[in-house]
Amino acid sequence: MLEVKELYAGYGLSEVLVGTSLTVEAGAVVALIGANGAGKTTTMRAISGMIAPSRGEVLLDGQPVQGLPASKIARLGLAHSPEGRKVFAPLSVEDNLLLGAFRHLPRFFGFRKAGAADLAHVYDLFPRLAERRGQLAGTLSGGEQQMLAIGRALMARPKVMLLDEPSMGLAPVIVQEVFRTIRRLKAEGMTMLLVEQFAQAALEVADHAFVMERGRIAVHGTPADLRRDERVVAAYLG
Amino acid sequence: MPVSFIVQMAVSGALMGLVYALVAYGFQLTYATSKSLNFGQGELVMVSAFATLSIMGTGLPYPLVVLLGLLFGALLGLAVERTGVRLALEQKSEGWILLTIIIGLFLFSFAENVWGRDDRPFPTPISSQPLNILGIDVTPVELSVAVGVLAVMLLVEAFKRTTLLGKAFEAVSADRDASELMGISATRTVMLSYALSGAVAALAGILVSPITTVGPTMASALVLKAFSVAVVAGLESGFGVVVVGLFLGALESLASFYVGSGWRDAPGLVLLILALAVRPTGVFGKAVIRKV
Repeated sequence: MLEVKELYAGYGLSEVLVGTSLTVEAGAVVALIGANGAGKTTTMRAISGMIAPSRGEVLLDGQPVQGLPASKIARLGLAHSPEGRKVFAPLSVEDNLLLGAFRHLPRFFGFRKAGAADLAHVYDLFPRLAERRGQLAGTLSGGEQQMLAIGRALMARPKVMLLDEPSMGLAPVIVQEVFRTIRRLKAEGMTMLLVEQFAQAALEVADHAFVMERGRIAVHGTPADLRRDERVVAAYLG
Repeated sequence: MPVSFIVQMAVSGALMGLVYALVAYGFQLTYATSKSLNFGQGELVMVSAFATLSIMGTGLPYPLVVLLGLLFGALLGLAVERTGVRLALEQKSEGWILLTIIIGLFLFSFAENVWGRDDRPFPTPISSQPLNILGIDVTPVELSVAVGVLAVMLLVEAFKRTTLLGKAFEAVSADRDASELMGISATRTVMLSYALSGAVAALAGILVSPITTVGPTMASALVLKAFSVAVVAGLESGFGVVVVGLFLGALESLASFYVGSGWRDAPGLVLLILALAVRPTGVFGKAVIRKV
């Protein structure tokens, strides 16, 4: 569903990704783990078009999308819940969610009706958001904002969802809730690429994992494979 | 001095103030999506008014002339965005300030060369025979200013609040990157806001010209007042610019009568300085104005 081939990208003159390749099969949850600064977030940003890769290929459902503007890639069915959540603070929870579905809702009128089913699904997943639907997103707690960021990405009915550090800065109870949600989405058949600091937790939900080191993939395999790899265990799972 | 006379002065002034409000609203529209303004907005008003006058010369029916005038303003707005704003925004620079001023200067010379330096009358089918409403004389032309300004502002506000595309305006303003990730093209949203802003400027020109006549110098006078209104009201509140516009218009008219006509421009500048000193976010504003 998503294929990254020999990707090079960075900021200005500094190249962060130096030939990253990875594959996410349809319906699979793939974890991307690695130390800080290894290039995990940059990989996500290069896939979704927030930064333009200088070389390499990104195939979404077989179609090359590298170099397209982020909005175009999003309309083709890739949803990226970015690092730091980036909810629209001055807008209500419900408006945030509806904007998440921008790619398939009518632009002018009738968008509430057309988005009702997707809203119901997200509210079912996160009852807290239903309670706060009229509240401004900026006034939510960190955990609620994370739920909103995931819910907003889901509203797009994406083919692939990128989740960047969904547990960052959250209390352990909330982190568990986030992972429960990821498991449920997996059961519903959502294709996901997950970047996580908590490598252990990520490996528990993932079908496949890629370990990044200095801008490229060092090791990859099933979680069971990685748990048998002494070097990976020592560096990331110890 | 009879009270009714003072009220009369205030009302005529306030109606003129609505034009300042409309031009100020043009600033707000682009500020809302891109935190940038067109400092040549006054020249957009003037050139659109001249263009409308030329279109009128072809003898087309008046409503169609107005429509074409608005379209011209929208296209001019798009041209400003493309030439003066987009590149600067992409590089996160403040270059749009100088570029839009330069475009304004260019449009000014352009107008002088194409339409001449003289003020010209702007014919309108709307009558200027005063009507007496509650003891105050108001001409239908003045009323058309009030109706036009308020109708267009209500329409645009309704668009921003009730349509998904309108909400996308606010999303782009809140977080450009995140809106892109939702499939909202930030560039196109900013373009749309400049087109709307240009159409609003053209409307201001079409409404005010029958009262003030059209001339290349109308731009600088209007934009200074409109800028005062936008800063005093804050760059966020559409309701705020109407209130401040009405107030400033009335104040100007009274000042020019009681203190002398040379003092007409004083209230706007005094309010501007006061607002910047006391409340730089504007009376109705929330966000802090970025200093550059």
